[in-house]
Amino acid sequence: MLKRLLSFVALWAVLAGCHEVEEYPNDPIGNFEALWNIIDTRYCFLLDKNVDWDEVHERYSQRVSNTMTSRQLFDLLGEMLNELEDGHTNLMSPFGTSFYRKWWTDYPQNYDERLIQQYYFNFNYYSIGSYTYGFLPDNVGYIHYSTFEAGLGSGNIDLILDYFSSANGLIFDVRDNGGGNLTNVEQIVSRFIDERIKAGYIIHKTGPGHNDFDEPFAYYIDPVGGGHLAWTKPVVVLANRSTFSAANNFVSIMKSLPHVTVAGSTTGGGSGMPFNSELPNGWGVRFSACSILDGSGAVTEFGVEPTEGCAVDMDPDAAASGHDTILDFAIRRLLDRADN
Amino acid sequence: MAKYFFKVLSAATLALIQPATLSAESCDSVQVVRPVSSFYMVEAGSSHLTDTYLSPIKYSGWHTGLDYERTQAMRFSPDKWVMQMRFGLGFDKALNSPGNQSMLSGELHFSWGMMRRWRFNGGFSAGAGGSALLDAGCLYRDRGGNNPASAKASLMAAATGYVCWSGSLGRLPLSLRYQPVLPVVGAFFAPDYGELYYEIYLGNHSGLAHCGWWGNYFALENLLTADLRLGSTTLRIGYRGKVYSTKVNHTVTNVSTHAAVIGVGGEWISLSPDRRLSKEARIISTTY
Repeated sequence: MLKRLLSFVALWAVLAGCHEVEEYPNDPIGNFEALWNIIDTRYCFLLDKNVDWDEVHERYSQRVSNTMTSRQLFDLLGEMLNELEDGHTNLMSPFGTSFYRKWWTDYPQNYDERLIQQYYFNFNYYSIGSYTYGFLPDNVGYIHYSTFEAGLGSGNIDLILDYFSSANGLIFDVRDNGGGNLTNVEQIVSRFIDERIKAGYIIHKTGPGHNDFDEPFAYYIDPVGGGHLAWTKPVVVLANRSTFSAANNFVSIMKSLPHVTVAGSTTGGGSGMPFNSELPNGWGVRFSACSILDGSGAVTEFGVEPTEGCAVDMDPDAAASGHDTILDFAIRRLLDRADN
Repeated sequence: MAKYFFKVLSAATLALIQPATLSAESCDSVQVVRPVSSFYMVEAGSSHLTDTYLSPIKYSGWHTGLDYERTQAMRFSPDKWVMQMRFGLGFDKALNSPGNQSMLSGELHFSWGMMRRWRFNGGFSAGAGGSALLDAGCLYRDRGGNNPASAKASLMAAATGYVCWSGSLGRLPLSLRYQPVLPVVGAFFAPDYGELYYEIYLGNHSGLAHCGWWGNYFALENLLTADLRLGSTTLRIGYRGKVYSTKVNHTVTNVSTHAAVIGVGGEWISLSPDRRLSKEARIISTTY
């Protein structure tokens, strides 16, 4: 009996020793199949974007061959990834990184950093970390935050808000902010609320199927507390198409606050939290794997629209004479609210 | 049967809480001495790592680790039962096949168990029993973006045993020993297929603990050692092979290591100054 049991354990140990992982050969066809499979099983927006990924395989597999050079393969795979129209999806090789750029190149830029620094501040403003700030005419505070990659100490943020304590309103400009860390989004939003808010939902995949998703998980942001300063007077958030990823998330949360107006143009989206993976040849792959929804449960991958009646583009003629029409709109909006 | 189980359980509890210095005690008229066998081991070898949460590619590299092993005859039945406690840590570094990305793995493990042992003629002995196995670790891939690491934690009940031959190599006392450890059932941690650790940080803790069994959690450790007794010190050389493989939430983790082991150890007896070792004392060793 003991002998039989030991034989069974030994046999089972050999058979079930390791769970299998599908492997692809390190040649152009193998790398193509590996990439296609990663997206097929892990990309989170195939249904939201109505992408027929099987059809993409059929179309691109006819163009891949094992006689391709590395650059030819890179270009082909990059082109295939561009079918997803996702700024968070890249292929990374030793000689370059593929980008889908149309999410911002097909739109007006709507931001000119130098114009503001020169004509609104006469190059006289404060800078600390990713923050640039100063007083605009009519006692309006202005902060431009260039990236969510870098946070700022709570004490530093206190000093900035304290500087604007006498201002009629505040403009928080995240134009050309390409995103960064969501923890920095929490840090800043916590300065603009006086009670706990539902920031949105996070929804992850539960399996390789295109529709394998968990229930959306609501997450919340608490006011800063701890004796730190908060801002509850009127705020206008400025956004453009290059407001992307974490900045897109920031705008979606700020838009839900009653004392906040979002002005400018629709943000660039990028609500998919990217995962990284790799191909047999060592090229890296980045792709949206986990979707973040806004507080109403809506997908923001395609961008967050400005508050109703606040969609404004920069007028090139006005810009030539030193006017940012989006910024001017925001100033007027704040002054109107102050008058009312 | 229940009475026997509780006897073993209470003895195990006592063995855990009693100080090691009480390893010699009188049993009726004959003093029974239960020496503690301790080994400190270092190991080095190769490793193979795959974790599809991080990458579908297999990584290969080197492995190193430190281990401590302590065995002692149980007080309640020193001739038949031995306790074994082990603590160890391991570290692996591996590269993908193109050699342009690395993966690191760190692991801590602790186990406590008991084995029933049998002695046979010719210097042979064997044991079989179980242990509680606590493991914690992490695999980390550089350039991992939002999914750079895959945390591991488990608490498993394991089957274990050993076969041992004690003899001599010339005039040098020698023991050859083989011990496998096979986790059978327990619980382990794993995030969902596409779940970010950020989501866990935000408070979504559902579905992180999984019941582990051979279908989704397979691990096997094989330890083969040769103990050479050099006076009061024992030199241990050997081989340790480990396989760890889980498949849960469509995520597969495979870790295998093969390592040469070298260590030193010995048996020691701790006595109170007022209680001398009598000439008739029975010394019940765990390993020889």
